Amino acid sequence: MRVLDAIIRIRDLSFTWPGSRRPCLSQLALDVNRGERLFVHGESGAGKSTLLNLIGGVMLPERGYIDVLGRPLGKLSSSNRDRFRVDHTGFIFQQFNLIPYLSVLDNVLLPCRFSTERARRTGGSASAEARRLLAALDLDPRLAHRPAASLSVGQQQRVSAARALIGRPELILADEPTSALDPRRQAVFIELLMGEVTANGGTLVFVSHDQRLAPLFDRCIELLAQ
Amino acid sequence: MKTLLPLALASAWNRRLSLALSVFSIALAVTLLIAVTRIRDAAQTSFAQAAAGVDLVVGPRGSPVQLLLHAVFHLGEATHTMRWQSYRTLAADPQVAWSIPLALGDSHRGFPVLGTTPEYFRHLRYGQQEPLGFFSGQPFSGLFEAVVGAEVADRLGYRLGDLITLRHGSAHLDELEDRHPHGAEHADKPFRITGILLPTATPVDRTIHVSLASLEAIHLNWQGGLPLPGLDIPPQLATKFDLTPKTLDAVLIGLHQRTDAFRTQRQIADFTGEPLMAILPSLAMDELWQLVGSVERSLHGLAWLIVGVGLAGMAAVILASLGERRRELAILRSVGAGPGHIVALVMLEGGTLTAVGLLTGLGLVEGAGYLFAPLVNARLGLDLSTNAFSAEELRLIAGIFATGLLTSLLPGWRASRMSLADGLVPRL
Repeated sequence: MRVLDAIIRIRDLSFTWPGSRRPCLSQLALDVNRGERLFVHGESGAGKSTLLNLIGGVMLPERGYIDVLGRPLGKLSSSNRDRFRVDHTGFIFQQFNLIPYLSVLDNVLLPCRFSTERARRTGGSASAEARRLLAALDLDPRLAHRPAASLSVGQQQRVSAARALIGRPELILADEPTSALDPRRQAVFIELLMGEVTANGGTLVFVSHDQRLAPLFDRCIELLAQ
Repeated sequence: MKTLLPLALASAWNRRLSLALSVFSIALAVTLLIAVTRIRDAAQTSFAQAAAGVDLVVGPRGSPVQLLLHAVFHLGEATHTMRWQSYRTLAADPQVAWSIPLALGDSHRGFPVLGTTPEYFRHLRYGQQEPLGFFSGQPFSGLFEAVVGAEVADRLGYRLGDLITLRHGSAHLDELEDRHPHGAEHADKPFRITGILLPTATPVDRTIHVSLASLEAIHLNWQGGLPLPGLDIPPQLATKFDLTPKTLDAVLIGLHQRTDAFRTQRQIADFTGEPLMAILPSLAMDELWQLVGSVERSLHGLAWLIVGVGLAGMAAVILASLGERRRELAILRSVGAGPGHIVALVMLEGGTLTAVGLLTGLGLVEGAGYLFAPLVNARLGLDLSTNAFSAEELRLIAGIFATGLLTSLLPGWRASRMSLADGLVPRL
């Protein structure tokens, strides 16, 4: 039953960076279920970010296939992959997530600019939904019109979480989003993020080298450096 | 496009200092190009208008351009002359509304002296068919009276009533006078200035106008370009002689019907008395402009080159900014921007910069025109506003904008490649 409900299906996945002799990922198989909160652990260079780039459809695997929401990414044209990504996926990175010269609100609304689907799923007013998300992530509403560059790192990460969540994408991919935060703020951030992901009915893939975070998640897998 | 433009503008505003400099260089280049074009057009117009209102220029058969240079610009030497009697026959033709006989050959301190009739001031037009106007005084009426053009009066500081002497031959350089201090000067018969003309930006400004009879009179005791020794005819005695000229250099003709110009031209070519030719000044003027146009063309080419430098500078600034924009581009990719979006974003930036540069440049030209046009008009008689925002200028503006867009294609393409290779997180 759980297998049928897989939101991500990866089989026999291999990827080698151009110019590198060793494969970054090799013969990876992975299923992620709908609503699951998966922790991917691995040392630096184990291919965690590469995996997220592959799931996001920004890069294509050398071999094997990736299926997201039943769509084989390798068979989509690159412009369809771009559209598919923004319609169904939200990203959070380690830091420098925000476009510094845009306001907090404009940063959160970015996916709605590129995806009518995401804008539609905000249920009418995208900016009202953005304000709701910012409030749910415990951000002072007075910051909404401040330029993103004026926020602290912790505030920036919450803004980027709001951006990933706006328009209820099925999949949230997080690449070390807490590594720039101190341990207490890490836990607070993850709790807030998970709360919203669950409320939205989304699936979370959370990548980190910090194994201490693993107990907060449903499932934990480890990538080994090749 | 609607979603991308605010992004492109916000991003550009974030880097406004370096971009402002490239906008500034584009603006200056545009200013130069538009200004050169406008001055060129104004000069060409005023050039073509030097003989406005003249339907035909008649002279001895030879080179049309040479006749035009001689009759309208008073340049060069006449190799042949035409007979006075031929002029009388032409003037009596029923198709001819008016005719102005011209005799050249003398000069005053480098300025050509033109022998003609008072008809000249009545019929000659310049610019937009405007008649010649007098700054002060009136046309010559008797012997040894002269009407000087605006530039002559201005450069030599002449006022009404001043006396001037004419020099035999057309010495066009002032230095020549120093080398031949006792050259062929008609010192015995000075001319009184009775009129000073308003500036016209045509060769009229550089001309000293006297009556044909005066020219005859000062040459009474001359032969072969030198005064006859021992023969002095004082001015007061000159009236005793028949002062009807025997030869002329050219005749300007106005017709009753402009459309008769070609027919009359053929009739004059078939003139039986002597070999004559008639030219349509506008046609010959175009031919002449082709000759002198090479300076203008190279200036124009240079201005385009400077526009090219400005746009290349812009492309370089955008290219250089891509390094610091890696994060920004990766974030945009992660929120759904495709490579096409990235190219469009960079081209929107390039297009905006070019447009702002264009508008600034046009503003500078218009501002300078507003400030200096009256001065230029008064001093040089050039009307700089005639060709403002003409079809050609609009084409030029569109061309610069298109070139700007095309130039930003290069950084745009580079940005899209970069953002693809970086994936969602740039590898710094």
